[in-house]
Amino acid sequence: MKLFRVRAIARKEFIHIVRDPRSLGMAIAVPMLLLSLFGFALTMDVDKVPLAVWDQSGTPDSRELIAQFSGSRYFNIRVQARNYREVVRAIDSREALAALIVPADFADRMGAGQVVPVQAIVDGSDANTATIAMGYARVVTFAYSQQLALREVQRVGGAAINLPVEVRPRVWYNGDMESKNYIIPGLIAVIMMVIAALLTSLTVAREWERGTMEQLISTPVRGPELILGKLLPYFAIGMLDVLLAVLMGEFFFDVPLRGNVGLLFAVSAIFLSGALTLGMLISIVTKSQLLASQLAMVLTFLPAFLLSGFMYDIGNMPKFIQGITYLIPARYFVALLKGIYLKGIGLEILGMEALLLVVFGALVMVVANLKYRKKVTV
Amino acid sequence: MNSPGTAVVVRDLEKRFGDFVAVNRVSFEVKRGEIFGFLGPNGAGKSTTIRMLCGILIPSGGAGTVAGLDILTRQEEIKANIGYMSQKFSLYEDLTVEENIDFYSGIYRIPAEKKQARKEWVLQMAGLKEHLHSRTGTLSGGWKQRLSLGCAILHEPPVIFLDEPTSGVDPISRRQFWDLIYELAGKGVTVFVTTHYMDEAEYCDRIALIYRGELIAMGAPADLKTEKLREDSIAPSMEDLFVSLIEAHDRDARPQEEVRR
Amino acid sequence: MLVKEFIHIFRDPKMKAVIFLVPVIQSMIFGYAVTTDVKHVATAVFDLDNSQASRELVARFVRSGYFDVVARVQNEGQVRVLLDRGRARAVLRFNQGFEREMLAGRTARLQVLLDGADSNSAGIVLEYSARIAAEFSRTVLIERSARLAGAFRPPGGVDLQARAWFNENLESRNFYVPGVIAILVMLITLMLTSMAVVREKEVGTMEQILVTPITPGEFIAGKTLPFALIGFVDVIVITAIAVFWFEVPIRGNLLLLFLATALYLMTTLGIGLFISTISQTQQQAMMSTFFFYMPAILLSGFIFPIANMPESIQWLTYLNPLRYFLIVIRGIFLKGIGISVLWPQLLALAVMGLLTLRAAAGRFHKTMA
Repeated sequence: MKLFRVRAIARKEFIHIVRDPRSLGMAIAVPMLLLSLFGFALTMDVDKVPLAVWDQSGTPDSRELIAQFSGSRYFNIRVQARNYREVVRAIDSREALAALIVPADFADRMGAGQVVPVQAIVDGSDANTATIAMGYARVVTFAYSQQLALREVQRVGGAAINLPVEVRPRVWYNGDMESKNYIIPGLIAVIMMVIAALLTSLTVAREWERGTMEQLISTPVRGPELILGKLLPYFAIGMLDVLLAVLMGEFFFDVPLRGNVGLLFAVSAIFLSGALTLGMLISIVTKSQLLASQLAMVLTFLPAFLLSGFMYDIGNMPKFIQGITYLIPARYFVALLKGIYLKGIGLEILGMEALLLVVFGALVMVVANLKYRKKVTV
Repeated sequence: MNSPGTAVVVRDLEKRFGDFVAVNRVSFEVKRGEIFGFLGPNGAGKSTTIRMLCGILIPSGGAGTVAGLDILTRQEEIKANIGYMSQKFSLYEDLTVEENIDFYSGIYRIPAEKKQARKEWVLQMAGLKEHLHSRTGTLSGGWKQRLSLGCAILHEPPVIFLDEPTSGVDPISRRQFWDLIYELAGKGVTVFVTTHYMDEAEYCDRIALIYRGELIAMGAPADLKTEKLREDSIAPSMEDLFVSLIEAHDRDARPQEEVRR
Repeated sequence: MLVKEFIHIFRDPKMKAVIFLVPVIQSMIFGYAVTTDVKHVATAVFDLDNSQASRELVARFVRSGYFDVVARVQNEGQVRVLLDRGRARAVLRFNQGFEREMLAGRTARLQVLLDGADSNSAGIVLEYSARIAAEFSRTVLIERSARLAGAFRPPGGVDLQARAWFNENLESRNFYVPGVIAILVMLITLMLTSMAVVREKEVGTMEQILVTPITPGEFIAGKTLPFALIGFVDVIVITAIAVFWFEVPIRGNLLLLFLATALYLMTTLGIGLFISTISQTQQQAMMSTFFFYMPAILLSGFIFPIANMPESIQWLTYLNPLRYFLIVIRGIFLKGIGISVLWPQLLALAVMGLLTLRAAAGRFHKTMA
């Protein structure tokens, strides 16, 4: 491999990029857009679930139960239904996400010391929100039942009594439990895959389509020189995106960065090389930009988004999907990013992940070379 | 198998794509400083042959050397010793003339002290001095083609391969282009050119006719005409030669059919 | 023209594979991987009390089905290691004297250490533990009262009987898999249309076509219809996967789904064409597509509930065709509602479709001439 040829190709590729300011602009704008959306607009956190209430009992007891809901920070009573039809309409029209139906004999049965069934209905179409809303409802009713029991014991015992057990939560790494704190670090991985998918996946295919590849092949340029030369400018863009993401995380979104910044950039550089080479590999194999773009979406972007643990915790996935995620390099990178950002840990714990990223990068590099050689000399 | 006087030697060169035989056991030699014309209709195997010689395609069989280097084992060295110009315009349209030249000087590693002189030479030759900073995509066909040639011979290769270099170019530009080819040959550069323009074949020192992957005739244009054409054709043209050779070949290939007719 | 496009697309076996495999892969990923159900949380127990009470409480955690005890640790250092390495996501810590405190009538404290990195899961885990502890307290209280006063009258309580409508088992896949229809159809029509048109420009065949007697309308139809058809094929493929593989219920009318798809396609094809008119290279087309596509997905309610977005962004989502189409798809699949409820969405799609297609065709006409 001769460096002067790498330099010549890198320079040419750089001119291509500069000549197309719109694509360059988007290579910067897309990451910014994603960061802003995730930082400001998107959250999986559910609060203030709109609730419809149908109080058939209408007694002080039932009102006390309902007050537990309206008083909690989880619910917002939107609809006071007078009959079942109104409950149905509230949920069908998406005015309320959940409904609470208190039976007519609520007070009587409570007075008789029975455990009274109270119906809660949730719009289950969004399973995530529904699960969380249901959980909130359970927490509220359990707390209420517990309070009743406590009151009863106090009445019998005649003295103030303490709750036997209380949970003292201590949340590590992300004390305020804000979703942006775990989304933003992971987003860096997604952004890199976007760059790889959008920019590098087309570069070789474009040369095939325009016929310039033919000319290049007739020159003494070799595979590694071409791949490396083409990679360098995009690598620069990718690292610029990382820098912007880190700065935005620090100054706009107040995401804590507890670990070593140098390590963060080092692993980003390793992952970026692998991701870009993967884009290049797709480009070499397909020869057509249309196809390359589709493949890039499926092979780089989608897994990075959905199977990396960026947004959806891998621990919650079925076992065989968990197995598949081991094949997805973004998984290791996301683990590194979150570890460095939130846990402040380094290579002593994440060494394996970092090593696997290096292996991934080296592997695609080798395969891209082999494929290139095969493609140019049929 | 190579003597100091030959630039290209090929023995039984063969290329198959699956069942299809694109080039069927072709053998020929090209002398140093010669303009060698490779003729044939579209799809006859011209480009395939040239690409094997340039190290872009690996031959399925046979042997050969280019500039004294084996085409089977020393492709990478061959690439440094040849210039290649494909039939499709293949420079970067969004780069300027100068940037394209700089790019190829970088690829071929033209030494710094020679770089400026070579650039001047290409610009001079292609008449592109005042278009130095124009985007290549905005140039007209003749200019593009001369720039392609310039970029292909920046590194002063001893052998150049031109694959239908004049297709889609106006007659005046074609004329100018051939003047350039003569100039190069005069300096001792071997020029291997494919074409389907019959008048261009007349400009070559020697021509070879390839048809359906097979070499069906080879020699100096004038010799071929006297040898192969019947007496009765007055003022024989290359066109006539071409047609009669192909007809003869088809007759040989399908004798029964001809007899029945 | 139409035939030529089909030949273009299907001549390449890889392209064929992509067109059919992409919906399959996407449905599989969304059907299996995208789940926010939190179960079997890897839990470590750090029990310094080692009493009957602490063991009873741990047993209750395990019995709930939400917690799997993966380790028992003896010191703080081990806790740190487990959480740092991600081997455990929750740690139950009982300090010495847990049972003693409880028996003495004071409040014993159960410490739950959580890996809050994934705040969503952490919140759910926290809620589980609060509930389990509350149940435990209640049992203890009732037992104690029963001992104190022989004739104890148990206190009333509330038993919440929660029912989820439309998706009884709260399967995430019922929510996501039908939605894949909307995002895939959009991707295919946007990206393939815009890139295919720009390719003609790049390769130079556009000029060739322009000199033929073909009208711009015919050209547009020829360019877009194959992708529209591919879009429909993908709708069928995904619907089949959803129904037969993932057993997502389809309660509404399939014909209505196709009608809505057709309306939605008008918008996406229009936008695809529009992108092709503002792009010179396929790269630009792809980037522009992406620039539109990402926010369109993220602000559609496909993953992130619109109700949780800031108000100004919520208004923005009304411009998003994906938003309406998703409501229609989920309405048809899960709720089984029909045109009587969904007409505003269908109307919005129709209006948007006509407007964008017209605008794009007009612009296309101009840039060609």
